[in-house]
Amino acid sequence: MTLDILQAIAAGIPWTLALTAVALVIGAALGQPLCAMRFSRWSAVRFLASALILTFRSIPPIVWLFFIFFGFGSGYLQISPFQAAAAGLGLITAANMAEIYRGALAAIHPGQWEAAFALNLLPRHRFLDVIGPQLLRVALPSGATYAIGLLKDSAISSTIGVSEIAFQAYHTSQRTFHSLDVYAIAGLLYILISLPMASLARWIDIKLRARVAR
Amino acid sequence: MSGSPAHESPGMLQEAATEPLLRLEAIHKRFGAFEALSGIDLQVRTREVVAIIGPSGSGKSTLLRCINQLEPPTSGRVVLAGVALEAGQEPSRDALMRLRRSVGMVFQSFNLFPHLTVLRNVSLAQERVMGRRRKDADEISMQLLSRVGLADKASQYPGRCSGGQQQRIAIARALALDPQLMLFDEPTSSLDPELGLEVLAVMRELAENGMTMIVVTHEMHFAESVSDRVIIMADGRIVEEGESAQVMRNPTTERAKRFLHAVNDR
Repeated sequence: MTLDILQAIAAGIPWTLALTAVALVIGAALGQPLCAMRFSRWSAVRFLASALILTFRSIPPIVWLFFIFFGFGSGYLQISPFQAAAAGLGLITAANMAEIYRGALAAIHPGQWEAAFALNLLPRHRFLDVIGPQLLRVALPSGATYAIGLLKDSAISSTIGVSEIAFQAYHTSQRTFHSLDVYAIAGLLYILISLPMASLARWIDIKLRARVAR
Repeated sequence: MSGSPAHESPGMLQEAATEPLLRLEAIHKRFGAFEALSGIDLQVRTREVVAIIGPSGSGKSTLLRCINQLEPPTSGRVVLAGVALEAGQEPSRDALMRLRRSVGMVFQSFNLFPHLTVLRNVSLAQERVMGRRRKDADEISMQLLSRVGLADKASQYPGRCSGGQQQRIAIARALALDPQLMLFDEPTSSLDPELGLEVLAVMRELAENGMTMIVVTHEMHFAESVSDRVIIMADGRIVEEGESAQVMRNPTTERAKRFLHAVNDR
């Protein structure tokens, strides 16, 4: 019986992982221009970035997902539950990553920019060779913490029908009436997935710290 | 005389010989209501070593940073190796690049890239800016690191090096781009006296080999013994300027006397 339950719920693991990964990639990528906009020389662009970040972060994820899936999804766009969830969580992640990048930027010594200018590096080299790697290094711990939070938030997508862990658990408990076992197993799976994520992040952090120890 | 080509007029040659490498004309720099530089005129010839001394807040560092446009001047003109930048008008990227390419800069806080090895610190801009191949850049970097006595540190990260070593690496990094002018912004101010000495030794060697240098410093002995010319700044102006020993021993203006008194009384 327990094996049945486990199998049924485990079917959701790929979807949980995929949704977390896609949202994280969208967020990590979109977070960069969003963060750059906050430092724009035009106040309108800075204002727009702040407004977007505020909007993405202040509205609860579940409202975002309903808004995208039932709002846009009914009539305007043909959109699958997974696409809607990835878009919604991706945008929220982008706003949070933009703030994480902003904090990391502030932690980089202004002399790094000056040295890059004085060496005449082009803007893309300033970023890719000098600032970017240091930024990632500083942003990694908070980024990893956010990623684990995101893994848990992905459960919200069960409400719009993404067949991830929480979704499978709900339907299994409806079918078997073993709610206690079902949700305990589901919780255990989330722990089992977060653990390697946390230790991977810590391992990378220690690696990088050892290299650039001051 | 007979060897000189006929199509080059003597006038042109003479002009080329006397044209200073760097010419600053009426440089002003304002930060909000505060005027950091109030009209600086300065010329530096090729192979000349100029020391700028003066009290804190007198505008010495700002002046250096105006030369390579880390701080664009509010008004005035910078002419360096034939590239002229007029304050107030947005410089073309090309002009800015050409100007910065002929200037190397060394900072008080070293500003080495902490995530790159010592070798990579020196090689990076050679590849990205000069288009050198990695192998060639690394070879040149190793020569420069040997020159500053740090070839054995090539594979280390800067964080593992002492302040004096870091500053020598920073000098090697700047030299790697073959600058015509080197700017030193208080290169020894964050070092203890002994580590400062090893950096000064490298700078002395550079000066002896004909590098054109402008050095903002509090090292009075270095200013007097190595530089050809000393400039004393106060309140955003040049208050005294001339041959090193002359300025250091017999300043003429009241402000310069006051500053040197304070220095010598320590």
